[in-house]
This record gives sequence, structure tokens and C-alpha cells, in this order.
Amino acid sequence: MAGKKSDSFWVRHLLRRAGFGGTPSEIQHYVLLGYDGALDELLHPQSVDNDALEADIKQQNFDFTQIADLKRWWLYRMCYTRRPLEEKMTLFWHGHFATSEKKVKHAYAMYGQNWIFRKHALGNFHQLLYDVSKDPAMIIWLDNQQNQKGKPNENYAREIMELFTMGIGNYSEQDIKEAARAFTGWHTQPDGFHFNEAQHDFGNKTFLGQTGNFNGEDVVKILVGQKATSRFLARKLIRFFAFDDPDEEMIDRIASTYLKSKYNIGKTMEVLLSDPLFLSERSYHAKIKSPAELVVGTVKTMQLRKLDGDLPSIMARMGQDLLEPPNVKGWDGGPAWIATDTMMERFNFAARITGAKFEDMESYMSPSELMRKQGLNNAAEMVDYFLQLLVDDDVPTSARSRLVAYVSSDIKGDPVKTIPDERTLDAKLRGLVHLIMTLPTYQLA
Amino acid sequence: MTISRRDFLKNGLGVMTICLTPAQILAAAAQAANFAPRQAGKSKILVVVQMSGGNDGLNMVVPYGMGAYYQARPTLGIQPDKVLQLNGQLGLNPNMTGLCDLYKQGKVALLQAVGYPNPNRSHFRSIEIWQTAQPDRIGDTGWLGRYLDLSASGKPDNIFAAVNVEPTLPKTLASTKVMVPSVSNVFDFRFRTDPQYIQDRKAQVAAFNEIYESFSLKRPHVALLRKTGVDANRASDYLQQIVRQYKGDVKYPDGSFGNGLKFISQMIAGNVDSKVFTVNLDGFDTHTNQARTQNGLLKQLSEGISAFYADLAAHNVQNDVIILCFSEFGRRVAENGGHGTDHGTAEPVFVIGNSVRGGIFGDHASLSNLDQGDLKYKIDFRSIYASLLERWLGADSKAILADRFDIIPFV
Repeated sequence: MAGKKSDSFWVRHLLRRAGFGGTPSEIQHYVLLGYDGALDELLHPQSVDNDALEADIKQQNFDFTQIADLKRWWLYRMCYTRRPLEEKMTLFWHGHFATSEKKVKHAYAMYGQNWIFRKHALGNFHQLLYDVSKDPAMIIWLDNQQNQKGKPNENYAREIMELFTMGIGNYSEQDIKEAARAFTGWHTQPDGFHFNEAQHDFGNKTFLGQTGNFNGEDVVKILVGQKATSRFLARKLIRFFAFDDPDEEMIDRIASTYLKSKYNIGKTMEVLLSDPLFLSERSYHAKIKSPAELVVGTVKTMQLRKLDGDLPSIMARMGQDLLEPPNVKGWDGGPAWIATDTMMERFNFAARITGAKFEDMESYMSPSELMRKQGLNNAAEMVDYFLQLLVDDDVPTSARSRLVAYVSSDIKGDPVKTIPDERTLDAKLRGLVHLIMTLPTYQLA
Repeated sequence: MTISRRDFLKNGLGVMTICLTPAQILAAAAQAANFAPRQAGKSKILVVVQMSGGNDGLNMVVPYGMGAYYQARPTLGIQPDKVLQLNGQLGLNPNMTGLCDLYKQGKVALLQAVGYPNPNRSHFRSIEIWQTAQPDRIGDTGWLGRYLDLSASGKPDNIFAAVNVEPTLPKTLASTKVMVPSVSNVFDFRFRTDPQYIQDRKAQVAAFNEIYESFSLKRPHVALLRKTGVDANRASDYLQQIVRQYKGDVKYPDGSFGNGLKFISQMIAGNVDSKVFTVNLDGFDTHTNQARTQNGLLKQLSEGISAFYADLAAHNVQNDVIILCFSEFGRRVAENGGHGTDHGTAEPVFVIGNSVRGGIFGDHASLSNLDQGDLKYKIDFRSIYASLLERWLGADSKAILADRFDIIPFV
């Protein structure tokens, strides 16, 4: 990447991170807004009319008491929302407050929790943490239902500090015990949160150096304002949105925005997504796409209007089972997405998309039709068009010339000057798109 | 006959064009892919069978000699004339004839009343406890993952240090250094191309291999992606070869459990250099109308294992393999009102193999002196792990289990 890159180059980078990539028309929409305009729109989802999506979803009659439907519903939102950052933040918070339906065993409660994440996606972390602490799915997930006066269950108290706010090493075992007492009686009933007064410990607690008759609300308040929390969240946000190895100065920049803005997530994200390091070589194609990014991004790029019912299970085999994260730490992300089996799954997802019978499913893109539309006349033009579309043309020259050689051969692999017939053209186009989707670069966001 | 790595990569995904004997092909594939083949007859392999859902141990190993059993199980109790008697007190579920035969040949160690302190009755957490061997904290790595980490240090990468034949990797094999592939269906673990254009496959595959071989960009994860992509296809080719070369006529029970065991046997017979294989048999959470479900599952378990054993023996590798069968917990002693049983605690565990000292280890849990209606454990499951680590896998159990546990002489 030599020289200064264009505004539209960075808009596309922004969309891969603050969204899931985009269809050609979505990309055009944001490019026309310019980087600052695009970022502004992404950061203010409530200003974007999303009624078409909600109406479309209503028509599909998802059954929110069924986990399989819930997964498809969420994936559908990611693919077709006009508020991509809202959905991306929802995914971030799901990974942060990682709750699994496997234990909760209540799809509708998971649905409710998912809306908490969306409601506060770019809102205030204080309010988010408070709502999460009272969320029935979370109460079941981390055993707060068993947290009673005199018989505390410390699970939630531990995780709220270790994984949701400060990170390990910033509190003592005694702080956990005291916080657990503050959350006693925060229970759930079939109709939602229930403060079980008889099971709440109203005694004094000393928590992180402060003493008082604290309840869960107080613990939340104390935690969100900790410096350790600001740094823990900043690091995690940078790792999710920018690159895997944030440096201390950048963490400081983001963390101090979080504190100064009184825990405003939108403001924090604004600073992160306009940070000089975010808009640099350091960040460009520096992250491995999560399965959600890979699958949703493919749906968008290829403009698929119909989703296969088993996309969630394909994603699960790639290592990201939505609403069933492996444990309370969520997905590790980064290089952990990549193993021989998950890589093969990515290759075969590509084969499945490119091998689809586009003609029978009008919603799918037809490569040969697209070629006519784009006025592509020879192998090199085809290769360049798809390299630009799918991997931002970020490949070594050896890969490009080998792809041109692949397209410039007949079905037996012998070199030809012109593609002999429509059938060969179809085979070569599908094969070309498949090959590009298997490239290392296609796995990068 | 040697074949260079480059040639292998070129031909790797297609059919090998040169005529070789099956043994030569395997040797060449293994050599080209840097997979040192295992030494048959001299290896020590552990196959872990997880019976998910919480298996009712009392109806698997029936204490038919204890009156309290029939009092607690008025409708579910299995009558003495039906059980496959092991001794005057105990008998196997009548659906387990295959396993009973192995027991009689002295190839089955039955460990009684296995559990751990402060038993957790949540499936989720108890599975995690058995898989991580860390009851007191939520650990990130599995006990066999830590074993792989320890035994891998200083050795070149082996893509097949262990293989899980289920769709998702159990925490048992979660490690910090070693990547364990999950290959639930060897047919799916294969670089697919468009079935409409089969003739074009060769050209696509050749393009893929050549592009990957020289793919280089100065970006953080590109080297990892390149290597993993190459490894994935090499591993796939190797496994397809292994499966193609396998000859056997043993009949496995239908379903994913039988298929999984068969695939493991194919890998072992094909000398894949893995120390550990994991497979799952799910569905033991029998809160209502237990008998039909559990009997079917135990039949699958028993038929699967005896087929697997016969298959290993037919390939003359029966000395190389030990099988461990466990569930996350046993079930409540008293049956419930729905002809089922609820979540419980201690359970019997089987360790099976030609290298196992058969017999019954430990005492049966009391059926009257209970902990909230559940059995009190007598053998800590980590003792079984420690024994397998020390005496079978040759590893330092304390480094893996963080403590010393009693060694049980079943191996």
C-alpha cells in the first residue's frame, strides 16, 4: 500500500469494521457521504429509517421461542439492516457479556438480552451494565438466581469484574464476596427481573475501598467509573475494531474518552474510528474476519437476497455459534478463528456460494450476467474486477497472474485465447470467484 | 520412491497420477506432508467416549444384589434374571452383550462410584469439570489439551496430535499451543469444488495450490492463513487416502457414534500419529420414560465398542488403544414420577482395551447413605485421569492435574 489512499478506500475499510462490508449500492451510499459523513451516519443509527427491515422481519414469522429461529433472525438483521454499526456493536456486546442459550435454555430470554445490547449498542455503558445485571438470561447464566442472603453465589460478582469491567488483577477475593452480597436477591421470575427483598443482604459492605449499604446498582456505579474499566473496555474495543495488539497510548486515548464522556459508548467509538492508527497501514486488512463477518460480508458482496436456513450452523462449524458462545469469556477472536477444520469450512462455504444455482434462485447473483453488465471482455478484466470487489485488490502479483491463467484455460486446463462457450465461461467465473474467496486476503477484514 | 513436497502439493488435491501401491501412497503422503506415521504395535492411544446428558449408571451397571435398588426403582428396576451378571451383586444392562463379552475376556475395568467433591448438577458445568479436570475454577484448557501442550513442546508441528470426530471440539482437547482438528465427517473435510463442473476441478485445485504456495503479503495474519490453508488440504488429502486404503468388514451400529468410531479405527489402522481421539454419544438426559431411550443408547455404546475392538484386532493394533467412557454425572437413585430419573452425582466408568487389567475397582456407593438423594462418590475422576496419564500416556500427571491423585492399577 503505497502513497496516500483515497477517502473511498477508507470508507470501505470502515464498513468492514464498523459493519459487515456492504453491497455495491451500500458502499456507494457511504462513499458519497465521505468518511466523516459515513462515520456520522453509522454512529447515529436512530437517525436511519430501518422500517423496511422490521417489516420484512415481521413477514417471516420468526418464532422467538426457538433458538434456531433466533439465530436466523439475528443473522438476517446483520445482513439487511441499514444500521450496520448498531448490529456490529450488538455482536460486540454479545461477545463481551457472552451468554449461552445452552445453559439459559430459554430462547425468548436470549431474545430479550439481544435487544438490551441493541438498545444500548452505542448508548451509555453505565445503563447497559445495569440492564445486563438485571437481565433474566444473565441471571440464569451466571447463577445469580442462587445468590441469596447468607448463602451467596459469587459467580456474577466475579465475572462482572473479571470479564465485564475491570479485568483480572484489579480487585480482591474480598471485593468479590462483598459484591456478591450486594447482588443477593437480584432474581428473575417468568415475567422478568424480580428484586427478592427477603433474600437481599441489607448489611454494610466494603467494596473497592468504599463502605455503605450497597446493592447491585451501587456496585455497577462504582465499577463503570474505575480507571481499570476504562482501559479494559478500550483495549477490547480496539482489538475488536482495529487490530489485535493495541499500544498503550492508543488505549489511553480511547479510555480517557470513555471516562470524560461519562461512559458514552458512541463518543468512545467515534474517537476510535477516527483515530490515526485506525486509519493507517497498521489497521488495514490486519484482522481476521469472524465467521459472522465472513458470512454476512459474503451475502452483502454477492447481493444474496435469500438466506440458506443453515447459515448459522455453517458459522458454528467455523467456530462462531451465535447465541451459544463457548464460555463466559466469549470468542477469543483473532488467530483463534483459524484452524485446519475451520479453514476448510471457510473454503467450502465459498464453494457453496459460488456453486449455487443462481438461475433457479433469482435472488442470487449470476456471474455471467454480471460479467455482461460490467462489460468485462477478457480474462484479465474479469480477474481484476473480482479482485477489487472481493479483496480490495490486496494480493501478490503472483496470485493475480495465476488467476488470469486459470480463467484463460479451457475446462481441461489447456490455455485458450478465447473462452469457447457459455458453459465454460460459467464454470470459469464461478471457479474464479471461489478461488478468490479462498485467498488469505478474503479472510481479512 | 520419494516424492517432493512440491510435487505432492501440486497433485495433492487430485488423484495421484503415478501408479503406486497403497502402502507407498500412504508413506509418500505422510512423508510429503511431514506426518511421521505412527509405529503400529508400539503406540499408546487414548480414545475418549463422552456419554452426554448424564447417564443413569444404576441401570447400566445394575446392583441387582441390593434390595434398596429395587425399592428406589419400582418401575425402572431391571430384574435379576434379565441382567448380564458380572458377579453376585452386579450385572450389566441386558443391551450390553458386546461389552459383557469383553468384560469376560478381562478387557474391561469397571470403576465404581466415580465423582468429585461438591458435585455440580448442571450439565454445562459438570461437563466442563470433567473436561477440564478443574472443579474449583472455570478453566480454559482441557486435561488432554494440557497433556498435548506438554508432550508437544520441542517437537515439530503435527497436524494430528489429536483428532476430535465431533462437529465441535470438546473442552477436553482445548490447549494453548496445539491445534486439534475436528473432523466429524471425512467427506466434508475436503476441498469442494462446483459439482456442476467436475472436469474443472483439477484446474481449480492446481490454481489453489500454486497461489497458496507463493502467497505472501506483509500483513499480520497472512502467514498463518497461508500455512493453515495448505495444512488443511494436506490433512484432508491424507485422511481421504487413509479412508480409501482402509479394508475392513466389521459392522458398526448406524449413526454418528458408530461412524465416528469407525473413522477413528480407520485412522489408527492407517497409522495416523494421534495420541488422543474424542467421540460423543448424546441423549442420556432421561427425565421421562427413561428405559427405551437409555436401552437404545447403551446398545449403541456396547455394539459400537465391540465393533471398534474387533476392528482394531483385525488390524492387529488392539494393544495400542485404550478407551475411556464417562458421563458428566450419574442420576438420582430414586426414579421420578415420569418413569425417568433426575440429575445425580457419582457413576460407574469403563476403561477398555487389550492393555487394560480387567475387573472391578472400588466399592459400590451406598444406596441408603445418600447426599440429597444422590450417591456419594468414592473414586475421584482425576485418579482415573492420573492413572491414564502416568501409566498409559507416560506423562507427569501433577503437571497436568495440578495435584497428585491415587493411581489405580487398571493399567
